[in-house]
Amino acid sequence: MSRSNRMFGDNAFNLLKDLQRSSQTIPAFDDDGVRQVLEEIKAIFEENVAQASNYNSSADRSLWPLLNYRHAALQRNKRCLLAYLYERMQRIKAMRWEFGPIIPNDIKPALCEPEVQFFNNYSKSLAAYMRSVGDGQGIDLTGNLRPPKSLYIEVRCVENYGKFELDDGEVVHLRKNSQHYLPRAQVEPLVRQGILQHIT
Amino acid sequence: MSTREIMSDSENVEQAPNEHELSTEADLARAYEGDDDDDEDAEPITAQKVLEILETAWTNEMFAPELLQHQSDMLELMMSQVAHMEEQMKDLDKNDFRYVVHQMELERIRYIMASYLRCRLQKIEAFTQYIINQDATYDAADKRLSPEEAKYAQEFATNVDEYFSKVATRYMPNQQRGEAEQRIVAPNLMSHVFLKANVAVSGVIVGVDDEEVDLTPGSQHIIPYQLVADLIQKNQAKLI
Repeated sequence: MSRSNRMFGDNAFNLLKDLQRSSQTIPAFDDDGVRQVLEEIKAIFEENVAQASNYNSSADRSLWPLLNYRHAALQRNKRCLLAYLYERMQRIKAMRWEFGPIIPNDIKPALCEPEVQFFNNYSKSLAAYMRSVGDGQGIDLTGNLRPPKSLYIEVRCVENYGKFELDDGEVVHLRKNSQHYLPRAQVEPLVRQGILQHIT
Repeated sequence: MSTREIMSDSENVEQAPNEHELSTEADLARAYEGDDDDDEDAEPITAQKVLEILETAWTNEMFAPELLQHQSDMLELMMSQVAHMEEQMKDLDKNDFRYVVHQMELERIRYIMASYLRCRLQKIEAFTQYIINQDATYDAADKRLSPEEAKYAQEFATNVDEYFSKVATRYMPNQQRGEAEQRIVAPNLMSHVFLKANVAVSGVIVGVDDEEVDLTPGSQHIIPYQLVADLIQKNQAKLI
């Protein structure tokens, strides 16, 4: 890494750019990037502390802009880093709504340990909240995502799913490429998981 | 509760804005009365009323930049109503036209309730700390958060803090950590909203130079939210 054409804050900015460019649901946690930013923050901070005491004792006015500049760089680094984490958090939250309380296997390696913990805690308190709504009657907020247009929808099976029992006890065999006319409310989760496809 | 009533609900509201002059407390009292004595005649009207209140709360919540007062009571009533209706519908023939229509109606109501609560959760997650701080300043009677939501908000705040500290903030130099108050996100209360007056309100101050406007019933306006927040609260106007 040549130092000559790099500036303070570059690392932090790159974190954000990479995250924004990525087309995946959630890209792998950039361990290195985050560590570099943290190290930069620390380095700047230490330099500043050293010079601040110098400044206080010598009253050398010429140091003042430098101190300010470093402070600004530090603030910027911090802000970018937290924005990075916040954006990831938003995506993790969206994942809970989309895929339910279990992290899909293909996404799991992309998360770092605290993130998995965050997901589990988030999932737990969301579930607890949904159960407690309406004096303990409970309501599933992850269902009913779109305003209902019709009671039944036509769906096509994308993969073999096997037997699926409806609320009224009727059993449907969901085989690949078969088409069914089913109650929207009950098959909505399957559609979101990609097992069924909604055809108009 | 007949389907026609629900289907044409939005039109009803538009034709008869005066109905909204009834304050929410009065509605609440009546709704509870209807719930207590199982009067067959009274129930359809009250259920309708509850739905109306919920629908207004829902649209208001959707368009208001800040969190509005919670409606747990109404929500509870509606949920037991829905459960009640489902129970009754079990006896109906699946192919009966009435069954289909009723089922559809329930789906709609469920969507409204779920969407309403989701919208509130989104706001709670976005402005967690701001909302918690604000709520601490209100009296017990007009807390914006329902007890369940308050618990959720608290848990969410701790959860986020923990995550941030584990990944980043605890590796930062000491003096740089204690700036949690800088991270508080507040809603933009001066964002403009579309508003429709339910009743005549005179002398609403708009703009910085104390300009006043009289709202006539049914009239529509675009106005910064904060200036009319109390009208929404008092149900004198609603957001559209």
